[in-house]
Amino acid sequence: MSAWREQLADRIPAEMANLIDTFEAQVELRKQGKLDEKVFAEQRLRKGAYGQRYDNGQRHDGLRTRELSYPSGGLVKGPDTLWDAPGMQRIKIPYGGLTAEQLEVLSELADEYADGILHITTRQDIQLHYVHIDDTPDLMRRLAAVGITTQEACGNSVRNITACTLAGVCHDEVFDVSPYADAMTRFLLDHDDVQDFGRKFKVAFSGCAGHACGLVKMHDLGLLAQTREIAGETKRGFTVFVGGGLGTVPQQAKVLADFVTEEQVLPLAQAVARVFARLGEKKNRNRARIKFLVSKLGIDEFRREVQAELETVPHDERHTAYLDRLGDFAYQPAKAGLALNGRPLPAGFSDWYRTNVYQQAQRGYSAITLNTPLGDFTSMQGFQLAEIARRYVGDNIRLSVEQNIVLRWVADADLPAIYRELRAIGLADAGAGTIVDITTCPGTDTCKLGIASSRGLTAELRARLIERINLLPDAVRELKIKVSGCFNSCGQHHVADIGFFGNSRRSGNHKMPHFQVVLGGQWRENAGSYGLAVGAVPAKNIPAALEALTKRYVAERADGEVFQSWVKNLGRKEIKAMLQPLMKLPSFEDQPEYFSDWGDSRVYTIDDIGVGECAGEVVSLFSLEIARAESAHFEALLALDEGDFPLVDQQAYKAMVLAARALVRTKYLDVGDDYGNIVKEFRSRFYDTELVYDRFAKGKFARYLFKRHSQPPARVGEDYAHQLIDETQLFIENVHSAEQRINGVIVS
Amino acid sequence: MTSVPKRLGVKFNLKREPALAAADIVPIFQRWIQEHTVAGMLIDVIDYKHVPEGPGVILIADEGDYAYDFGDGEIGLHYIRKRDLPGDMQAALRLAFRLALQAALCLEAEAPGDIEFDFSRAKISFLDRQRFRNEASRFVALQAEISAMLAEFYDCPVALERAYADPRLAFALRAAAQNGDGQALLERLQA
Repeated sequence: MSAWREQLADRIPAEMANLIDTFEAQVELRKQGKLDEKVFAEQRLRKGAYGQRYDNGQRHDGLRTRELSYPSGGLVKGPDTLWDAPGMQRIKIPYGGLTAEQLEVLSELADEYADGILHITTRQDIQLHYVHIDDTPDLMRRLAAVGITTQEACGNSVRNITACTLAGVCHDEVFDVSPYADAMTRFLLDHDDVQDFGRKFKVAFSGCAGHACGLVKMHDLGLLAQTREIAGETKRGFTVFVGGGLGTVPQQAKVLADFVTEEQVLPLAQAVARVFARLGEKKNRNRARIKFLVSKLGIDEFRREVQAELETVPHDERHTAYLDRLGDFAYQPAKAGLALNGRPLPAGFSDWYRTNVYQQAQRGYSAITLNTPLGDFTSMQGFQLAEIARRYVGDNIRLSVEQNIVLRWVADADLPAIYRELRAIGLADAGAGTIVDITTCPGTDTCKLGIASSRGLTAELRARLIERINLLPDAVRELKIKVSGCFNSCGQHHVADIGFFGNSRRSGNHKMPHFQVVLGGQWRENAGSYGLAVGAVPAKNIPAALEALTKRYVAERADGEVFQSWVKNLGRKEIKAMLQPLMKLPSFEDQPEYFSDWGDSRVYTIDDIGVGECAGEVVSLFSLEIARAESAHFEALLALDEGDFPLVDQQAYKAMVLAARALVRTKYLDVGDDYGNIVKEFRSRFYDTELVYDRFAKGKFARYLFKRHSQPPARVGEDYAHQLIDETQLFIENVHSAEQRINGVIVS
Repeated sequence: MTSVPKRLGVKFNLKREPALAAADIVPIFQRWIQEHTVAGMLIDVIDYKHVPEGPGVILIADEGDYAYDFGDGEIGLHYIRKRDLPGDMQAALRLAFRLALQAALCLEAEAPGDIEFDFSRAKISFLDRQRFRNEASRFVALQAEISAMLAEFYDCPVALERAYADPRLAFALRAAAQNGDGQALLERLQA
C-alpha cells in the first residue's frame, strides 16, 4: 500500500478512494500485461492521465529522428504510447473555483510530480505536464483529500463543467450560476448515464446573454440563466443550448429549450445524456460529438427525442435536493468591504486598476484578474498566492477560460496593498482582457496533435505587444487574440477578433510552419459567432501580419466600428490582398530562419518521414493545381460574404474536387476534368489505400468530399455554407499533408 | 539509514547575471540533445522563461531534468533527479551533485567568461513531502549527516541552513563551502 494511501485514508471519500484504488490496480495489471492496452488507455483517460508529444518513443532532434529508449521497453499505456513517456495530468476544477488549500496542494503536486509549472486551460482546468503514469494514483489521492477529482477529466465523458468567472459578483447576471454548475458537476460525475458516450461532452453555464464568460453557444450543452414569472412567482431557470462546439468544424449551439426551471435542469441534462449515449455515433469518433447528432436529426427531432427520454428518466432525489442547499453557497469575504479613497497608490497601480480590476455588484468589493502569461504559473507562486488569498479574500479564487486567475471579494481599500503583494510575486501584470492577454493551447510544446508552436508564437506576440502597449490605440488594445497549434481549436481561435491556428506548407523540399489567420470571431454574447480563415501565413510573418491588420484597422475604421464589422466591411478579398505579400514562401537556402518555429532552433518538422524521391516538375504541377483549389475556396469565402450560399456550395465543392485532382494528377496525369471520374480515382488511389489518411483523423477529411459529391444539398442555408467552407479548408490541408508524405523528399 | 526522497534537486547559482539571454539557452539545450552532451535519456526542451522566477528553460530527460532556472530570483543550473535514485542518501546526493555539476560546467563552456557558476554554494531540494516534511526538527535530524556527506564531496567543512522556513514549501537546504573549484569537486564526486 502506498504511503499516501495510508496517510490520507481518512480524508478521502470512500467512493473516490475506491475509484483511485481500482485505477492503481489497473496500473499494476497493465504492467503485468493482464489488462488490454486499449482498455487501460480509456481508463487512464477517464482519470485525466493523458499522453504527451513524443510518447510513441520517437523524436526528431533537428538532425534525425531518434528513438527514445525508455526503461520499461515495449510496455505501453495505450496504443503507441510508451509507459515511461511523460504524460499530462488534467485536473478538473468545476466552474474554476478553488480554495487556498486546494491551490497549495496543486502546487505541491507540480513540485513533486511535474515540472514545477501549473497550467490553466481554456476550460478552467489545471494541467500538469511531464508526469509519470506510476505517480498518478498518489497524485489523485492527494487531490481527493482536498475535494478535487480528476475523474472524467479526459476520455469520452462529461468534462469539467465551466461557468462565468464573475458568477455571483457580476452586475449583469440574472443570478449566480455557480451553485448550479456545482450541482450538475456532482450529479453527472460518474453517473451511469454518462458512461457510454462516443465522445466527450462539454457543459457550460452563463449568468447573462451579453458577456462572453460562459461561452454557452460553443458547448455541447449550454445553460443560460433566465427568470420567468410563473403563477405570479419569479422562477429561476435556464435557456438550454445543445450541439455547439469548436473543433475542426465549429458549430453554434441550437436552442433546445427556451426555459426550463431550476427543478427541471438536472433531469433534462440527464435526458440529453441518455439520448446522446443511445443515438450518438460510436464507431467513427470524428463524427461522434453531439453536434453531429443534432445536425443529423435536426433540432426539432432531437428535442422530441429528449422530451420522450425525459419521461423515462427515473425519479432521483438529487434532481432537486441541491436547491435546498443553495444558501450554503453564500460567499464569505475575508474582510469587510471598504472604499478605496485617499491612500497613496503604488507605481503601476493605475494601469493595473484600469484593466485588471472589476467593481463587483457588492459595494466596496472588487474582483481582480491575475494575468498569467500563457496560462502558466509556478508552484512557488501558487503557495505565495494561496497565502495572499487567505489574508485578503479567503477561498474566493477562480480560474478563467482566458487562462487567468481571478480573486474575488477584495475589499476596495485593500487594492493597493494586494497589488503590491501580487507585484512582488510576479502576478500583477496589467493588461488582463486586452490584446496582450493572449489565449493559447499547448501546441507543439507538449500536445501530440500540435502542428505549429502556438506557445512560441504567443510568447513572441505577447513580448512585442507589451513593449508597445501604452502606445497602442484603445481600439487595438481591446482586441482578443487566440492561438491554437492545430485545427482542433483548443486555443479557441474561432471566437477571437484575430485567431491563428497552426498548419504547414512546403517550400522546395522543406516544410515551413504556418498559421492560418482567422478573423472576425466574436467573443462577446457567449461566443456569438465564429471567424473564418483568410489565408495561411508563414509563422515568422505572423507578427508582421498582425501589425498590418491592426494598423489598417486603426487607420480605416469608422467611429466606434468594432473589428468584426471592419473585417466584414473590408471584405476577405481585400484582406487577403493585404496579407498576400506576407504569404510568399522563401526558399530554405535564402531564408532558413523561416523554417524554424518560434522558440525552437530546430529545423521545422511535423513528422519524421523522409520518403522516396520527387521530380521537381511533379511538385510544380501539384503546386499549380492546389493553388487552383485554394482560389476556388477563396471564391467560396467571398460568396459567403455576399450571402450567396448556393455559390458557396458550388465553389467549395469545386475547390475540393480540384484539390483531389491535384493529388490524383501526381499519379495519373490523364484524369481529366470530369468530377465523377476525379472523385472515383481519388477514392481508389488515395482513400481506399489510406494514403490520404491523416495520422489522427484518418479518412475524415476525404469523406467531406465524398459526402458533398454523393449528396448535393437540396437547399443551401447559411449554417451549411459555413460548415462546407470549413470542411473544404480542412480537406485542402489534408491534401497538402498527403502530398508531402507521399511524393515529397521531405528533409525537414 | 536515512531514506532518500522521491525527487532530489541540486542547484548551482551563477556568480553574476550573464550577457547570454535566456532565449539563447533553448538552442544550446536542443544541441545538447543532438550531441548527448549531458547524461540521461534526453527528451525535449521546454521554455518557461515567460514565468517570473520560474524554472526558465528545462531540458527534460527521463531520469532527471536540467533547468536553466530562475527560482528564488537567482539564475542557476538546477538538476532534479526524478527516477532511479540510489537507495542511500550519500549515493543519491553524490549522483545529483555530479550531474548538476557536469551540466553546469558544460554550460560554462558554452559562454566562457560570461556564464560562471559559484560552486561553493548549492541548494539541495528534497521534493517529497511524505518523507521530508519541511520542519525545523527535520533539519536538526539531518543536518549533521548531510553536512558530513557534503564535506566529503568538497573536502572541507560545509555549512548548512534551511532554505525555507515556510512549512508548505519543499524541504530544502542551502550549503556553503569554502572550496568552489568545480573541476576538483567533480573529480572527487567521480572518484
